[in-house]
Amino acid sequence: MAIVETILAEHTGTKHVQPGDMLITDVDRVYVQDGNSPTIAKIFGENEWDRVFDPKRVDIFFDHSVLAPDVRIADRLREAEAFADALGVNVHRAGEGISHVVALECGIYEPGTIVVGADSHTCTGGVSQALALGMGASDVAVAMRTGSVWMRVPETRWVRVRGKPGERTRAKDVLLRLLGIVKRTEFLSTSLEWCGEWVEGLTLDEACTVANMAVELGATCTFLPSTEGREPNRYSPKPPNGSHPAVYELDVSEMGPQVARPHSPADVMGVDECAGQPIDYVFIGSCANSRLSDIRDAATVLKGKSVSRKVHCVVTPGSRDIFVRALREGLVDVLVQSGAIVTPPGCGACVGTQGSIPASGAHVFSTMNRNFQGRMGNPSASIWLGSAVTAAHTAVFGRIPFEREMA
Amino acid sequence: MNNLQGLRVRCVQGVISTDDILPARYKHMTTNPRELSTHLFENIGARFGAPLTPGSAIVATDVFGVGSSREQAVSALRAADVRAILSPAFGEILYRNCWNLGLPALKLDTSGLEDGDLVDIDLVTGVLRDPLKGSAWSFAHVPDPLLRLLRCGGLIPMVKEFGGLRG
Repeated sequence: MAIVETILAEHTGTKHVQPGDMLITDVDRVYVQDGNSPTIAKIFGENEWDRVFDPKRVDIFFDHSVLAPDVRIADRLREAEAFADALGVNVHRAGEGISHVVALECGIYEPGTIVVGADSHTCTGGVSQALALGMGASDVAVAMRTGSVWMRVPETRWVRVRGKPGERTRAKDVLLRLLGIVKRTEFLSTSLEWCGEWVEGLTLDEACTVANMAVELGATCTFLPSTEGREPNRYSPKPPNGSHPAVYELDVSEMGPQVARPHSPADVMGVDECAGQPIDYVFIGSCANSRLSDIRDAATVLKGKSVSRKVHCVVTPGSRDIFVRALREGLVDVLVQSGAIVTPPGCGACVGTQGSIPASGAHVFSTMNRNFQGRMGNPSASIWLGSAVTAAHTAVFGRIPFEREMA
Repeated sequence: MNNLQGLRVRCVQGVISTDDILPARYKHMTTNPRELSTHLFENIGARFGAPLTPGSAIVATDVFGVGSSREQAVSALRAADVRAILSPAFGEILYRNCWNLGLPALKLDTSGLEDGDLVDIDLVTGVLRDPLKGSAWSFAHVPDPLLRLLRCGGLIPMVKEFGGLRG
């Protein structure tokens, strides 16, 4: 059986499940972010639910509006805080970081477990071989209350990535490339398992980016092999042998940096094809790319250089732990000296609930995972996506660079 | 319950993200679906055209609802009295959210359906008809657990009625 089938069979006490089966399964952990907790609190209130299935296995994160930007959002946050405190669950206050980043740090994702999160990027948990599922407010409310969800067992597909990409190419570029070349329905509603020498050699930080962007490919969930010295386990991807229609082959040999242009993460080209595009605002952060290696990539590029005077450059570390390590390593010093603004950990920039909100007509270069029209809070802005390396070079030049300039 | 009659077709072209349906930031401001529904499709207003009329069936041409887990997009569609979504493919989370809130999301090839068409849908036999044009479309069998969600009025009413998912 594929990993998703093994985990669902184990959780439902059945020997065998297959794609298409509809079943009810227990879950191991549930977590919620502040944007959806008001709706979940409303469901609890309307149904007079006053407790969760197990307070130790439920976490509520405050990450989308770390510095509340207006009265309405501040009031919703107050309601969410009261809700979280009344339930006695694990609460992660504003400033601790992005739920999917902190979830890995604090052990919410464990191999072979089922994790339900009220945010589509919960699929990041596949980096630890958890069946990690993003769901909507009703599903999450029921999971919190009863410890169970309904599932349709997804079909499994594999992506085998071979080859060694260029020196300035990161996992973000590989994911953008794949998004650019596959049909939108290729991996839709599948469980996506990753294999091949490129994936096996990833750092944990980069593996997180791969898992995180599985939802951009339309996948329901994803699984990566254990990387960076973490113990392999029986939930590691096991692709069919040889050439098989369920296995998608991708060769990334010598691949250069990639960029997605407005307004779709699947509208992708090599960096040289859009080099020269003027950029007003560079954002480095988000649950896709806010980890220490991303901050380090940005600082390596910006060391001894200045952010272009035409560019507003914001760097948002993914968690308090990453922020502290970046401080100790001197990275924050480098970034601030270069002219970048370093903000508290959080993820509100992606959806315009924290800032900086781009001006109308502005072109943003961002390390986020989505650039749909209106992301970041302004439908009149245009968002380009790429890695932290490309983003930092863009900040220096005030335009998207050519690959040869990214020395 | 299993028959939907006289739904007015409202077409939307191309891949539609959940952000296109309802921009992210509003759910941080209010939990009121009626208020949220005033922001439906506002970012792609030019592509989408005039506001939705009550009793609509949204008809998409590609993948509908990619990306976000935002159930509020579906509760806003419900508040605008959207009765069904028809699309060749759906984002998985949005698809769940539709059925969880009692809004049928049906997978079918929608070519031939046009703005303003009045259609009837039989969820059990899997047939959609346009009686005026005399055309019919068939769609895949809707699994029984989804029809049950619909009968109960959605996931939360079902859990309330049966005391859990296994009742």
